[in-house]
Amino acid sequence: MEPVRALIAILGLDQHETGALAVARILRDAGVEVIYLGRFNLPERIATTAVDEDVDVVGVSCHSWEYIYHIDELLRRLAEEPTHVPVVVGGSVITESDRQALIRKGVAAVFGPGAQAAEIVGTVRHLADLRRATRTI
Amino acid sequence: MTELETQSKIPLKPFYTSGDVADLDNGAALNDPGAFPYTRGRRSDPARRDSWIQRELSGEGPPSRSNAQFRYLIETGAVGLDVIGDAPTTACLDPDHPYALNAVGTQGVSLSRLDDFFELYDGIPLDRITLSHSLPGWFAVAGLYAVAKARGVSPAVLRGSVIQTPLYCEDYGYRTHMPVSLRLRLTLDSIAFCTREMPKFHSFVEDTYYISDGGPDAVEEMALGFIEIRAVVRELLKRGLDIDSFAPRIAILLNCRMDFFEEIAKIRATRRLFARMMRDEFGAKDPRSWSVNITAHTAGSSLTAQQPVNNVIRGAIQALALALAGVQAVEISAFDEAYRTPSPESHLVALRTQQVVQYESNAGQVADPLGGSYYVEHLTGEIERRIGEMTDRIEALGGPLDLCERGWFRSLFEEAMVRQERAIQDGTLPRVGVNMFRMAEEHDTLLKELAATKIEPCWDHVERIKEFKGSRDQTGVAAALQGVLGAAKAEREDLMRPIIAAMEAGATLGEISGALRMAYGSAYDPFGVAAAAL
Repeated sequence: MEPVRALIAILGLDQHETGALAVARILRDAGVEVIYLGRFNLPERIATTAVDEDVDVVGVSCHSWEYIYHIDELLRRLAEEPTHVPVVVGGSVITESDRQALIRKGVAAVFGPGAQAAEIVGTVRHLADLRRATRTI
Repeated sequence: MTELETQSKIPLKPFYTSGDVADLDNGAALNDPGAFPYTRGRRSDPARRDSWIQRELSGEGPPSRSNAQFRYLIETGAVGLDVIGDAPTTACLDPDHPYALNAVGTQGVSLSRLDDFFELYDGIPLDRITLSHSLPGWFAVAGLYAVAKARGVSPAVLRGSVIQTPLYCEDYGYRTHMPVSLRLRLTLDSIAFCTREMPKFHSFVEDTYYISDGGPDAVEEMALGFIEIRAVVRELLKRGLDIDSFAPRIAILLNCRMDFFEEIAKIRATRRLFARMMRDEFGAKDPRSWSVNITAHTAGSSLTAQQPVNNVIRGAIQALALALAGVQAVEISAFDEAYRTPSPESHLVALRTQQVVQYESNAGQVADPLGGSYYVEHLTGEIERRIGEMTDRIEALGGPLDLCERGWFRSLFEEAMVRQERAIQDGTLPRVGVNMFRMAEEHDTLLKELAATKIEPCWDHVERIKEFKGSRDQTGVAAALQGVLGAAKAEREDLMRPIIAAMEAGATLGEISGALRMAYGSAYDPFGVAAAAL
């Protein structure tokens, strides 16, 4: 089977990069192909890259509140594409009520501070499997 | 942890004896506080009760809200102010830039034009309060200078500081999308300008805090810091400046993590390395050039989103370490750090922590109270050796600008960030509430709601900036920006004068930065979405 492909990106002008780099490394170590888009992205760029790169999962790292104002557009843009790429959001600023709000909007999984590596890898693999199963139907 | 070691992996013994500090009585390494090589502190008389400047990081919303924060902090007992710019300001973008809209005023104050500086400093006694700035150094110097002039305050009496981040900002946290040669020139020009016009102002704060928080360890932090200091000093000397004209105004803003003795030893080692470098290598004659000012922030990355009340305790321990190490100014990263810039409540807790440490513990009454401790002296020597070795090793690899352009520093930062995250994940770096003594989400409520209170982006300030831009004398702005562009294209011209003139003409941070980028062959707008104003 083709390896799982994940896009890792940071939104807006959030300058914090530790979380995104660490998650990228965790996924690579687990055999996931990571397309690292890094800092300074608006939803359009993330969605376009996700489609062009045919990724299975989009991971957004949040260490500022900018995601609140960008996430709807990102979800909408990805929903408009036939590829059905799920979005995972993670970061230290995300509280339990933020998590619930994101899930209601349609984010596939949310990781707050203290998420374990195994949890992140397991979720990404699971979402990739789901997407691939849907696509082959 | 099975093996005894410090956070930066220096092996430790179960205890230390006189055999570990062979040169303890050697004046060359230790000497008294206030004497070369200043290992034991800049002064011999810290017993004065106001021995360090207590300040707290502030900056939120439009400049008027930050001004209100300033007034609150001064009322609460702060004797210095430190203002941080929001993400657009640190990235040299205007609030109305499409990438900036949702980040205006949320993680610092929005500053983009001279009017913003007038609003920021309104009613603040510029001649009495020291003003530190964590925002693009040249921009802060230009803004403060122009406001002081307009208010009839002589720039010569201004005290405070700006951080200078020429080598590492693109790789680690303060990205401006300017080439390193331009960043270095802005650094040199603003230092040279202050040396002439604002001689009491610390125009060169080497900020090793931001480059180490969340990644590099204590040794890497200071080695990178010395690389940058040496690069800037060498360039200033090449311009013909006398070392003693600017060296007394160099300060180091460093990080204080949770490894108590390692951080104390690091500060002592840094003073010794700096003194020897200035005297023996750069030939400084003025003792004030030898004894570096050290200011410290307690490590934001040691603070956790989980159980935020634990952060209050961490702040107190780190503040005590700084009192024992002897520093010139302290800022405690507030308990809500993992979520936001400080709230009034967390500001208060941080200042009260400093006050309790300073006034009640008596810890800072005697200079260098740990001097002579077998362990601390051994560790100081060991860290000094490691910092020196790493600095030499990096310098042997090539010029710092070259290493920067080759992405060498970026790789180091990436490795360090991943290493730290991994250490927290696997538990080798203990974090109470994160990798030990965790608590179920529903029980983790103490201070949680307060810490996680969100700040909304200041969209009304964005509108103000748009209106301002529409109502300016556009011809004057364009002409002033051409002045910046022309000066930047000419290799030897000073940039500060045309920058100040452009701000006085109403040009903004984003526009001036765009003109500077253009002069260096980069795009006016790094994201290709804002139209050039010239």
